[in-house]
Amino acid sequence: MRLRLITSTPDIEPLIATAILTTTGSKPSKAYEALKRQPGRAERIIERLEFHHGSIFEHNRLCWLLEADEAEVLELLLKSHFFQISRLGEGGWLMSANLRTVIEYTRRHDDSIAEALLESIKDVAPTVYRRLKEASK
Amino acid sequence: MRVRLLAYIPSRELLDRVGEISDAELLSHLAYVFAVEGISRVCSHQLVRHRVASYSQQSQRYVEVERLGEYVVIPKTIEERGREIFDALMEEASRTYKRLIELGVPREDARFVLPNATETHMMVTMDGRSLLHFFGLRCCLRAQWEIRELADKMLREVRRVEPQLFRRAGPYCYQLGYCPEGRFTCGRMEEVKKRYSLLGYGADGVE
Repeated sequence: MRLRLITSTPDIEPLIATAILTTTGSKPSKAYEALKRQPGRAERIIERLEFHHGSIFEHNRLCWLLEADEAEVLELLLKSHFFQISRLGEGGWLMSANLRTVIEYTRRHDDSIAEALLESIKDVAPTVYRRLKEASK
Repeated sequence: MRVRLLAYIPSRELLDRVGEISDAELLSHLAYVFAVEGISRVCSHQLVRHRVASYSQQSQRYVEVERLGEYVVIPKTIEERGREIFDALMEEASRTYKRLIELGVPREDARFVLPNATETHMMVTMDGRSLLHFFGLRCCLRAQWEIRELADKMLREVRRVEPQLFRRAGPYCYQLGYCPEGRFTCGRMEEVKKRYSLLGYGADGVE
């Protein structure tokens, strides 16, 4: 089974930080604009996060192309119901999920998919990626 | 009430990579992140009943409500017929809330006296398929006015960036071509269909 990230919601980490600031009193539109202007600030906020505060990681979507047979897809769906999967053709699938699903999968499973999922977020959610890597050591 | 689409994946971006896929399948892989500001707690209670979605809402455990009277949503009917008694209750609620805080009651308990009219802000994320269902139910004339206003504003936002993909979005009578409300139908299907064929498309003149 192989997967490749093909697109995702832009500004995933500023959106995570916006969600946190919204719960603590900021207006989301203003917080988001401010965070986009100061990328280091979103990073600092995410550094302090607890990963089990799951819902703030849900304001995004990541889409992958998946090469797998039906049995592998079934196994993946049995491990996490939160992946959305559409058949594209023989052995080809479009798969999507939010970052919370990725985080929970990689923390619960030690398999090649967990590894591939984690590597796929390296560029789109670098702080989350780094923290998950450190936690897995 | 203010609604802004903060982020989304353009459908073209996905289509260019996967080729042929139906709109229904495509929508389930696309997510739309909204900032929703200045709605009442009445409205947010209705909104979060749409379970296939993600919400981050201003916390009343951590955020102290200040100047309650200035941050409430007032329905038009109350504005016209009962503004005085409404204001009196808001003032009383505000006074009681502040007094409880002064007495050392934690915010998470003092908030029990806050009214449903209290304004709240939230971040809302829905996939395209859930959004269609949300519009189907909440753009309907049978929906309560505040959440209908919210649904209309969200629809304008997604139509602004994806005019083709959301062309058939709107209340279920507009999506399906018939009203599924049975004997509760508003009976104004043609008027509603006209409205949603225009809403959000340039100078539509639709309020």
